Parts: sequence; structure tokens; C-alpha cells
Amino acid sequence: MTETHSRTVHVVDDDAAFRRSLVFLLESVGWSARAHASAEEFLEQCHAAHGDMACLVLDIRMPMMSGLELQQRLRAEGCAVPVVFITGHGDVELAVQAMKHGASDFLEKPFKDQALIDAVVAAVRKGDAARADVARREEALAVLERLSPREREVARLVALGWPNKLVARELDISEKTVHVHRQHVMEKTELGSAAELARLMLRADPHALDG
Amino acid sequence: MPAFRRSPLAAVLFCVLLAAGAWLAPARADDAVVRIGVLAFLSGDDTLQAWKPVREQLQRGLPAYRFEWLPLDHEGMRSRAARGELDFVITNPGHYVDLEAELGASRVLTLDSGEARPERAIGSAVVVPRTAEVPARLEELRGKRVALVSRDAFGGYQLLWRELLALGIDPDHAFAAWEVVGFPMTRVFDAVLDGQADFGIVRACLLESMPQYAERLRVLAPRDEPGFPCATTSRLYPDWPLATLRHTSPELAREVAVALLSMPRTAQGVSWAVPADYQSVHELFRELQIGPYAYLRAPTLMALAERYWQWVAALVMGIVVWVIYTVRVEHRVHVRTQELRAALEERQAIEARMRANQEQVDHLTRLSVLGELSGTLAHELNQPLATIGNYAQSVLRRADAGRLSEAASREAAGEIAEQAERAAAILARIRAFAKKRVGQRERRDPRAVVSEAVALFRGMLAQAPEVTLDDRLAPGMAVEMDALQIQQVVLNLLKNAYDACRDLGPERCSIRVGLSISAGVLRIAVRDQGPGLDPVIRARLFEPFLSTKADGLGLGLSICKTIAEAHGGRLEAREAADGPGMVFTLSIPAHD
Repeated sequence: MTETHSRTVHVVDDDAAFRRSLVFLLESVGWSARAHASAEEFLEQCHAAHGDMACLVLDIRMPMMSGLELQQRLRAEGCAVPVVFITGHGDVELAVQAMKHGASDFLEKPFKDQALIDAVVAAVRKGDAARADVARREEALAVLERLSPREREVARLVALGWPNKLVARELDISEKTVHVHRQHVMEKTELGSAAELARLMLRADPHALDG
Repeated sequence: MPAFRRSPLAAVLFCVLLAAGAWLAPARADDAVVRIGVLAFLSGDDTLQAWKPVREQLQRGLPAYRFEWLPLDHEGMRSRAARGELDFVITNPGHYVDLEAELGASRVLTLDSGEARPERAIGSAVVVPRTAEVPARLEELRGKRVALVSRDAFGGYQLLWRELLALGIDPDHAFAAWEVVGFPMTRVFDAVLDGQADFGIVRACLLESMPQYAERLRVLAPRDEPGFPCATTSRLYPDWPLATLRHTSPELAREVAVALLSMPRTAQGVSWAVPADYQSVHELFRELQIGPYAYLRAPTLMALAERYWQWVAALVMGIVVWVIYTVRVEHRVHVRTQELRAALEERQAIEARMRANQEQVDHLTRLSVLGELSGTLAHELNQPLATIGNYAQSVLRRADAGRLSEAASREAAGEIAEQAERAAAILARIRAFAKKRVGQRERRDPRAVVSEAVALFRGMLAQAPEVTLDDRLAPGMAVEMDALQIQQVVLNLLKNAYDACRDLGPERCSIRVGLSISAGVLRIAVRDQGPGLDPVIRARLFEPFLSTKADGLGLGLSICKTIAEAHGGRLEAREAADGPGMVFTLSIPAHD
């Protein structure tokens, strides 16, 4: 546990001593950690520290804005940070709700220190994976952005493996025109085959080739 | 019972006839008239006819007297003799023994019928049809039907009775049916021959004297009696006596005796002999316990029981019923007493237990209130414990990794110590609250009591809501109360108020506590800003075990109400007049 992480774990809990102890614990295993006394306080810093955020350890019950509310606010604002909830005894219903809204995990107090550490690691991993997915989608979308609307139509049918003749009949254009569009698509996307084109389109939109 | 008892009607009729007879009969005016009663076993005329030779001889021998012969039955002869209307009686030996005992009859002569000796002249015979092979012995008569003239008949029954008893046969129980045919004795023969009875009992020699019956009937089990001309089933007894009565003059007795003794044998072979010994008849009667010996029979319990069995049965029944009734009543009284005693003991035990456990009850009510607060308390304790755990584990991890700085150690140790104190403080609060104590009333300042409760409440919660005190009491006020119990109530109301508003946000979660006094009543009102209560719930608010909370026991308000009533006060709930929320008001009397 001597590895160090470049990113920071944020802790939001209204009990000062407890949140300090969480920071102390996380730092013990090499995380950098920051404590916040309330959801509001965290929100102020969230935007600034977005890219730097590893995950959020969040008390589900807090006096002003509750953990659940904060989770919803973050989703609404597109702040895709993985959340590990800390719940008190008997808060199972709240925890279920949190999980439905995409929480990574929840821990019922009192919990083992190792449980928290594992939950944080898993959350960070999930967050990274989700972030990578998003990056790749954005990249694919950017490539497809280069195509004109007609070229996009042709590209979709080509990706489905249709021969030029069929594409021409489908779009009611000449076979020659299809051929030209196809060449432009391959040039703009810098791809070599219909199969690679299909993969790109699916990355941008998992349902791109449906129906 | 055999059917030979006399009917009462017959007895009455008989008495009437006797009275009439006494009235009509001429008094014994003429001393020369001598009345002789003769037992009639045939019809009256036949009897006189049978004695005709004797009558004529006597009249001839003693012409100075006029002999009047009266054919009588047993009872007729007895009653006439008792009234002194007879001078002599000629009767069978059994009847004679009766009269001897009762009326002092004294035998003068014994009849000598010629064929047998006078002292062994009478026997009893059991007759059965000659066609019947069975019975051959007297024992075989058990279960058979018997025909006889009367149970009082001497030769016709009593002699044989003795023989049956000697064989261990009790006639009262042994026979299937009794055909009592009455005189003349030949009816017995007819009854047997007609099949109305299986056997008959007659005087010995009667059958031999009547050939028309003798050819169809035989005598059962005849005894060997030398010198006796007939077949007899019983032993033999002396012949009929002639007896005087008490008032008969010895002179007359002697003259009659002499006249009869000197009389030649009649054509029928009848003459008179010196009186025989009638001891055998006495023995017979003693054994049978009849006649003069009937008293022997009377005292035996069995005999009494047999005779009066209906009465005995009724008496026994009565006693049994009475015993059952008594036992039953006794039993019920016993059971009721037991129940009563058990109930009393149970009540005493309960009362004793209640007295002994009054403190325990107080303690339990406090614990129940504590239970209501336990959800919050558990959460409170969780915080320091989790914090301590985190610090301790972190220190271990850092030490394991060789990265434990002194600064980190100090920080962790300091936090751990602080959190341990925090936990200890929470526990101390609980313990102080739950500690047993004897309830006590004392004059206390309500303001101080309520303020303490509010402070206690706020101290128990991490994010205590705002509690404002609306104090309208005069300074230095004192009211008699059990301060701790009142604090329990206030704590409970505060907790309820907090539960009602905790999910509504801090701006709505403020609690107002009102203190006021009017008309000698102290009021402590706790007002929340919650959503209020469903009317159904409100109606049942103070019932035990009613709770709207998932972790509630439903005892809080019920206990609060009990405390209020113990103070002679009340606990009421109403909706706040101004805006949302409920007001719970505890009122207790405040005697200045």
C-alpha cells in the first residue's frame, strides 16, 4: 500500500472527527484526501477540481443537503465522479435508492477500514473505466462529425456491409455517386475497411447500426 | 312376595261380619250349652257330617249338655276363642300350638283315627303326576310351580316346609310359581293334573283315600315310616287334639274327656286317646319361626329386609341421595373455597409484587422512554466508535508500511482519546437516566426542570433542533412534582417533536416549549412544526404499543400519560391554532 495516487478522494461528512479520521485512513494507504463539512461546501470546489477527483465518500444523512441530493446534483451537472455512500444503521432504503442512481457502493457504519479502502479502489476503477468510455465515444463522435449528412447515410449502409449497387438503389442515387461518397468517407475517417467503419460508428453510438 | 297376604278389604269385611255375628248371636245365657269349634278343611256341612259319629256319641254320653258344633276356619276359631265363645276346640296340631301359646288352649285328648298311632298320624305328601319321571327327589323341585291349599295349612304345607328347609331349600325363593288353590284340598290334585302346577302339597293319606286321583298321581320321595299306612314325604306328627280354653271349667273338661275316652270306635274307626306329646309340633314351628315362634323370625335383619324391602330400598335410596348431595355440596364448597383462597393468594402475591417492584416499575418506564430514544443513541455512539476504529487502523497501516510519523501518531492518539471521551459521555448520560431511583415528590422550579430536560435533549443529538422557551412563569415559582418523571415526559415530547420535523429541513424544525400557569394548573406545552397527525392516529395516541415509527415501541406517550395522571394531571394533544404542527400539553396541579 505504498503506491501513491495522483488524484484526490473527497470526503463529505457532517461529523468533523469522523471525516478527519477517514482522511487520515485514506492517507495511510497512499491516497490524497480532502474533507468537506457539507454538500454545499463540496459543490463549490467540485467544478474546480473535476479532473483531479478520484472518488467521493459521502455521508447519506446530513442536516442541510443530504447525500442523495448531492448525488443528484452532480449527475445533473455532468460531474461524473464515482460515489461511495456511508449509511447509518437502518438506512438501507436510502442506500438502495443511492445504488439505483448509480452509486458505486455503500458501507453501513460501523465498517471495517479495509472495506472502505476496497470500496474506494473499486469506485476509482469504475470511474476510470467510465471515463475512458466517454473519451472514446467523444473521439469517435468527433471523427464522424467531419462527414456531411449524405456521407453519413452512405457510411452507415457501407458499415452494414451493403454493396454499392444496393446502397445506390436504397438512397435513389447513381452507383457512381455512391462510389465517390464512399471514397470521401474513407479518406475523412482515415479508415481502410467497412469493418473498421462499423466499429467506429458503434463506439460513437452503440445503437448506430440498429434497424 | 308370595300372593297370600290378606287384603285389607277382606280383613275389614271380616271384622264387620264378626261384629254382626256377636250382635246376633245369643249370649251364653244357658250354661248347659257347650260350644265346640271344629276346624273346617272341607265345607261347613261336610265337616259337620264328618264329625257326625263323634257328635252323636258325645251327645249320647252327656245328655245334660247341649253340644253346639261350629265349623270354623283358623281365624274364625281364634277370634271366637279369644272372645270366650268356645268351650272346646278340635283343630290341627299346628293351629292348636298357636292357640295354646296365644289363648292358653290345653289339650285334653288326641284323636285316634285308627290306622296310625295318634302321636304319629299326620304327614305331608308331595304329589306329582304318575306320568312324570322327574322329579324323583325333593331337590329337583327347585324352579318348579307348586300347588297348595294355603301357606297356613299344617299338613298341607308346613310339615313339608320343614323338610325343604332341612334340604337347604328356601320355598320363598326356590319355586317358579305358587298356585294357592284353597280348600277343599282336592283342588291341589286338580291343579297338578291340569298342568297349572308341576307338583302339589297335600296332607298325607288324602291321596290314598281317593282312588280316582291315586291312579294318576304318585307321592314323591315317600319316607319309610313303619306302622303308617300311607305314603308321606314329611316326618309324622301327632293327630288332632281336643283342647279346652282358659275359661272352660275343669269340671266340664273332665266330663267331656271321660265321655269321649269311654266312647267306642266309630264305624270309621275313630276314637280318642290320651293327649299326645305335641313337642314335635313346637320344634317344627320353632324351626320354621312361625306361630308362637314368629318372634324368632322378626329380629333378623335379613327377614326384615325381605319383608320391607321396598321401604328399605327407598330408605337406602334416600340415604344414598342424601350422601351424594352432601358430598357434592361439600365438594363444591371445598372447590369454591380453594378457588377463593387461590384468588386471594394470587391477589396478595400481585399486590406484594407490585409494592416490592414499584421502583422497578419506575425503572422500567424510564427504560422504555430510553428505548424510544435508543435509535438516536445508537447512532450517536456509532460516530465516536467508527472514528476511533478508523484512527487505530490507520496507525497500524502506517506502522506496517514504515511511514508512521510522530505527528501522525500524536494526531491519531489525540483524536482517539477525544472520541473515547465523547462515547463515555454519551454512555454516562444514558446510565444516569436509566439508573434506578426511588420516586420522590418535591417542590421544584418548573423552569429549571424543563430547562434541564431541554439541555439533556439537545446534548443527546448531534444536530439538535432549535428549542425556544416561552416562559410566562413568575420568578421563584415552585410546584410539587417528581422532577425526573416530568423530565421524562418533556424529553419524550421533545423527541416526538423532533421526529415530526427532522425530515423537513432545519428552517421548519424548530420546537417551542411553553410554560404557563393559570387557575392553579401548571402547563408545559411542546409545539412542533411537523405535518400534524392523522385523525385516526390522534384518537389512539395514548394507547400503548401504538407507534408511527419503524423503530418505536409505542410506549412513550402511554407512559407519559401515566406519569401525568400520577401527578393528578393530564396530557393532551391538539393541532396548533397558528399554522402546522401539533401541541402536546402536560398539565399538573400547582398548589401555589
